[in-house]
Amino acid sequence: MNHGSWALSTPRLRAVFIIMALVLLAGAVFVPAASVPAADDEALERRVLEITDQLRCPTCQAISVKDSAAGFSRQITGKVRAMLKEGQSEDEIKAFFVARYGEWILRAPKKQGVGLILWLLPGLAIAAVGGWVGYVAFRASRRGEDEPEGGRHGEIGEAERDRIERDLRRFEEGF
Amino acid sequence: MIRSWKFWGVLSAIGAVVALFAYGFTVDPKLVPSPLVGKPAADFTVQQLNGEGALTLSDLQGTPVLLNFWASWCVACRDEAAILQEAHLLYDVAQNRLRVIGVAIQDTPEKALAFAERFGKTYFLALDDEAGTIGLDYGLYGVPETFFIDAGGRIQYKQVGAVTRELIRTMLDEMADEMASPKQEKGS
Repeated sequence: MNHGSWALSTPRLRAVFIIMALVLLAGAVFVPAASVPAADDEALERRVLEITDQLRCPTCQAISVKDSAAGFSRQITGKVRAMLKEGQSEDEIKAFFVARYGEWILRAPKKQGVGLILWLLPGLAIAAVGGWVGYVAFRASRRGEDEPEGGRHGEIGEAERDRIERDLRRFEEGF
Repeated sequence: MIRSWKFWGVLSAIGAVVALFAYGFTVDPKLVPSPLVGKPAADFTVQQLNGEGALTLSDLQGTPVLLNFWASWCVACRDEAAILQEAHLLYDVAQNRLRVIGVAIQDTPEKALAFAERFGKTYFLALDDEAGTIGLDYGLYGVPETFFIDAGGRIQYKQVGAVTRELIRTMLDEMADEMASPKQEKGS
């Protein structure tokens, strides 16, 4: 059986090849056109996720709108998406929700006013503890340098030193 | 005996933490003050769910409004259904001192109407759209939530949870005075 001549000589098969070629051509023409809005949607959804991650779910405990499937969270997500499509900025969107829910709706406090204290407090606490530990370590190292060679014998009384030396001798002599 | 500054420092820190916890126990974390109290109520137009016609909130200026958000799936809404209906009959129908409006959220017309029928609601009922436009404009956290809007169209009070007869009576008296200073919300 001659497969080559069968494949290309049959008129019906040639028609199939032509249709396939047209389909591929149509795909080549239409796929990039369709992929442009898809890329836009992807960027939009990324922005939606970024913003909803910063908003607190009104009906949940300590969960962002992004991570919640509650009805209010879905509606807030829809509103964020619609506002982004209208060309509103992230600040404008956040201001919209703050005007209606208060600062509570923001998961991270604003970096101004009382919110600024909340932002700075952990860093200040770490710096204070670090500074104190560093100071204590520095004092300890300085004390070590100031010690005379052989240690601070003055801290042990004469009687005690004698007793230690006696014990050491007994230990070396094997009792 | 005079203690060192370290002793008093540690004692102060412990005292501050205990005071913070003590304060935390006196506050309901679910109660978040609404920034909308004292501000003009967001306007909206809705179709009546249990009748014909539409309503625009700003058209009601001149009469205080009780705007109640509810849902057929909300258990607490059952508790206040009779109270709201009573308020409608007494202060709206009989005395024309108050308009009672109910907006169902995250609901279907069929379920909302079935709920209204079951609990005998005859006041103006509407349904928020799927996007929750009105609910989001009023910064809802859940249902039921009720806004008392004075005759000038300003939100005077927000109730989180079911309303009581006493609350409606008190708010109606307070809203009668246009100069009443805005109050912060309280929950039930």
